[in-house]
Order: sequence, then C-alpha cells, then structure tokens
Amino acid sequence: MKYAFYPGCVSRGACPELYPASVKVTEKLGIEIEEVTDVGCTGAGVLSRDLSDPINARTLAKVESMGLSSLMTICSTCQGVFTQANHRFKNEPEYRQKINDEYLAEEGLEYKGTVEVKHLLWVLMEDYGVENLKPYIKRKLTGLKVAPFYGCYIRRPTSIIAPKGLSGRKTYLEELLDVLGAESVDSSGKSKCCGFPILTVNEENSMRMVSDHTGDAKTKGADCMVTPCPLCHLNLDANQPTAEKRAGTQIGLPIIHLPQLLGLAFGFDEKEMELQRHIVSTESVSRQLEVSIRS
Amino acid sequence: METTFKVYRFDPENGSKPDFATYQVDLPDSATVMDGLRQIRDEQDPSLAFRASCERGSCGDCALRINKKGRLGCTLKIAKTVKNGVVTVEPIRNIPVLKDLVYDLESFLWKKIKSVQPWITPRGPEPDGEYVVAEEQLAEVRKAMSCIMCGLCDEGCAVIKIDKDFVGPAALTKAYRAVFDPRDGQHDERLTLVSEPGGVWDCTHCFEANGHCPLGLEPTDRLFEVRDEAIRQGIRSGTQNPKVQRHYDSFLNSVKRSGWLDEGRLAIESEGLTNVAGLAKLLPTVIRAIPKGKAPMPYFHPKRPGAQAIRRIIDKAQRSEV
Repeated sequence: MKYAFYPGCVSRGACPELYPASVKVTEKLGIEIEEVTDVGCTGAGVLSRDLSDPINARTLAKVESMGLSSLMTICSTCQGVFTQANHRFKNEPEYRQKINDEYLAEEGLEYKGTVEVKHLLWVLMEDYGVENLKPYIKRKLTGLKVAPFYGCYIRRPTSIIAPKGLSGRKTYLEELLDVLGAESVDSSGKSKCCGFPILTVNEENSMRMVSDHTGDAKTKGADCMVTPCPLCHLNLDANQPTAEKRAGTQIGLPIIHLPQLLGLAFGFDEKEMELQRHIVSTESVSRQLEVSIRS
Repeated sequence: METTFKVYRFDPENGSKPDFATYQVDLPDSATVMDGLRQIRDEQDPSLAFRASCERGSCGDCALRINKKGRLGCTLKIAKTVKNGVVTVEPIRNIPVLKDLVYDLESFLWKKIKSVQPWITPRGPEPDGEYVVAEEQLAEVRKAMSCIMCGLCDEGCAVIKIDKDFVGPAALTKAYRAVFDPRDGQHDERLTLVSEPGGVWDCTHCFEANGHCPLGLEPTDRLFEVRDEAIRQGIRSGTQNPKVQRHYDSFLNSVKRSGWLDEGRLAIESEGLTNVAGLAKLLPTVIRAIPKGKAPMPYFHPKRPGAQAIRRIIDKAQRSEV
C-alpha cells in the first residue's frame, strides 16, 4: 500500500533528525510513501478550529487528488489534530460540504471523506504487521530499558483515537519494543501530557511535567525514553536541562524518536539516525547497545 | 459476593497518620461500592466518614478514587471494579482530606467554580415575563447543563496535579455553559475572565478530562469551544496574560506567511520583541540548540508550495469569524 506522507513542521524545523530517520526506516521496510508538499500546518491544536479545519480538509483533499486513501504522519500532535478534524468531516457531511463550498471549491478541490490518517506507529502495527518487522531486525535491543512515552494526542480522546476494535492502540509501543527486544519500563507519565502545549503560557508547569515524567522513568530504571511525537521530544529532550535546573535535580534521560529506535534495531548506526543532534546525550544508549551486541 | 474493602482512614483530630483499614463485606452481585461502605459503617465501624446523597449518580457527592480510578461510588458495582477480591477506596487526589473519605470541596471545587461566575447575567431591561429561549438555541449547552459537579474531571486533570491554582475542566465546563447561553449579557467579560492566568489557556488540552467524566460530557471539548469563542472575539489574553495573545498571533502569522510554523519566530514573538528579560531567558536553550542544528533561523522561513492558498483560507475564515 502506498501512503501520502505528512512530515509536519517540527521534523523539518527543531527536530530535523526525525525526517531522515522516518524516510530511511520506511524505505528499509519497503513502505512506499509520497510526501504531500503543497499543504499547510495542521494548526497543532493552537489555531482555532474555525481556521484549522479548512486547512486540514484541504490537505486531505490533496491526498485524495493524489489517488491515495491513507496519509501517514510522524507526529502525535499532527495525528491527533487530523483524526479529530477528519472525524468531523466524515460524521458531519453538511459541515464537510460547507468547508468544500466555502474554502476548497475555489481551488477546484473537494474532500470526499475517504482518507484515513495514520501515524507511522499505527501503520506498522495495523497495516504492515509487527511480525513482518522481524526479518529486518539486525541488532536486537536486548537489555535496553525503554520507557514508552505516547503523548496525549495519539491516545485521546479515546472515543475517536482508540475506539472499539482499536483499543490495542494503547499498548502499541510496548508491543513494538517487545519485538525489537527491548524491555518496556512503565512510567507514570507514559500517556500523560509532556507539557509542551503550555510551554509559552505557563513554563513553570510545563517544566514540572518534564522533570516529573523523565525523572520517574529514570527512577524506574529506564535507559532512555521513546516517543512517537516530536513535540514531546522537544520538551522532554531540548528542555530537559531547564527542567532539571528548576527541579534542582539531575536526570539526563536520553529521548529517542520512534523511527530512530526502529532504525537502530534495523542496523542503522547512531550517526545515520542523527542521534548526535539530541540535547541530552544518547551515548549511554549507544554503550548499552554495544554491550548487548558483544554479549 | 464476599469482598475485601481497603478503605483510606484519616482523622486529623486523633493525630494519627493516614492509613488503610481492611474490612470484609458480603453483598449481592448487584451491590455498589457505596453499598459496601454503608455496610461497613452500619455493621462494623460507625466512625467511617463518607459523603453520599442521591444514590443514583445525579448529585456527584460520592466521587471517590476506587481501585485507582476516579468514579462515583453509588453507581459503580462492586462486581465491575473488584480486582482479586479487593476494592480499594480513597478520596479523590490532590485535595485536602477532612476525615476519611470526606474532602474539602470548598478549596477543591466550589472556589474554582465560583471564580468563573457560573450564573447568567442578562443585559438590558427585564422582559415582562420569563426570558424565552428557543430549544435549538440551548441545544448545545444542554449537555454541559447536566454536569453534576462531581469534580472527577478535575481529579484526572494533569495540570491540577501539579498546580492547584489551575481553574480546571469542571469550572471551565460551567464557564462554557454560561458563555453559550443566549440570555447571558456578560459574554466578552466572561471570556476575558477565563483568559486570565490559571484559566483556559493554562490547559494542555490533553483530553484526560473526557475520560474521567462519568456522564460523558467531554469537558475538554467544551473547553475548546470556550477557547475558540475567545479567539473569535479577539479575546486571548485576559488583562494579565499578554503572552497568550502574542503566541497565538505569531503562530497564525507564521502559517499565514509561509504555510507552516516558523518555530524560531514563535519563540521570540511569544516572549515579545521588546521583552529583554524574556528573550534573555530563551538564550540558554538556543545556545544548546545551535551546534546541534536544532535552532531554525527565525524569519528566514521558506514558503511551502501551498502557502498562498493557505493564506487565502485563513483570510476567509477570519472574515467569517467577525
């Protein structure tokens, strides 16, 4: 199956390591993707839905005009905003029609409501099949203790994100880690908010969330944290030094993007996965993996 | 059905530390957790304190933490929640306990709900008779009107957990009910009030509240409605919260200009171009990010191919907001 690919803003901005890691991993697996370039930001839950819904309907219409019915994201926030908007478009035909008439018709576009939006994590677990990953695993992550961190938007609202029949989405990261050979560390923040959405408005609360989540994972023995969301990554990695300072503690927990962790297991090296770009050093992860390989 | 109840006990008057007491209860399969607490109090320990009133999920008095989840004790059947024969009952989290399962509703809930002024204040002369509202005008707010103020959405709130001053989803659901009531004459004042620090903009919109509401009122969605209405009315800052306005405007202007987010610009403009102290605060993060190639150059932001179409959409949507 071919997917339209929506990389989002952050994978080309403050998390530039995410984009190439995602492309390399999907290429390795033979997942065919075509980037949809002529589209805008989802609004990230910041812009009012009056503005972001038409922009997102346009993106989905563009996917339809590519002759595709699946859009792959690599960001939980993009995923969440798309899923919620698409839920409205699919379940409220009059609303969809209004957006088509008022905003898309001028460009000769129409969103018919046929697109499914799926995060890479869902693509792997629901379409590709976790068993089919096994032949690509060249370096088992045995011994690596990884705390999964989903972020909000790939988990909630449950009625839309993980409805009946798809409730397994709540444990996909753990299942994936198991196949990669890593050990899941269950931390208290794994499905909580990372604090990024309030970084500007209430930095103190945002930093408290970072130190609570990373600190708890570290206390529970995690070597690193893995996240499918670059915004969570930004807060948990780039702002971890600030959060440590505020909390008066040292944490030093490496935060790995989901495609990077897959890439390491598929035999890419740390440089190819651009781990050197991270703010919190990932050397401890590399050392742990070397030990695993030698043993 | 025989069940072990582990119940949180605390009496500030006798100076002892909080602890759990264990009781055995034997009740029919249809019994609720509240039936269990009542049996304990009536037959084993009359000193056990808990709140209960309507016994049918309508008053919100018996909001408790049962087997680590916020639930109403009167509607939750023991058979539904029991784990390995045990039901653990605690007060809801992040709240001063007065005695056993009775907590301080004033500081936890009422103070916050009162802070959003959850009453309708009509403007203009009073009508001769009743205020008449068409059913369809109230259709949207009907859902929020059925809130029983149990506080379970606040119990699950990730922000309240770390910041007791955050107004929380329960009070903001009440604010929503008033904001969208056509009889209310304090529309803009109300939106300004909830836009102050600690209000609607302090919410991470993580949708935790939706999963905790026992009536399915989707408090996070109600909160989004309040936020979007504030944006429509151009009220994003309250009187003391200028960063919210700057952050929103910068985000919007960035997407309008290039089709996507200029992260560097957003960070700078959210602090304020003349806010030297705020900008200085960004420096350590920027200094750490530059050598890693993680600090995109602000303002030199390439336009996406669809930027013009996106700008047209935003312009049109903004015109229809007015």
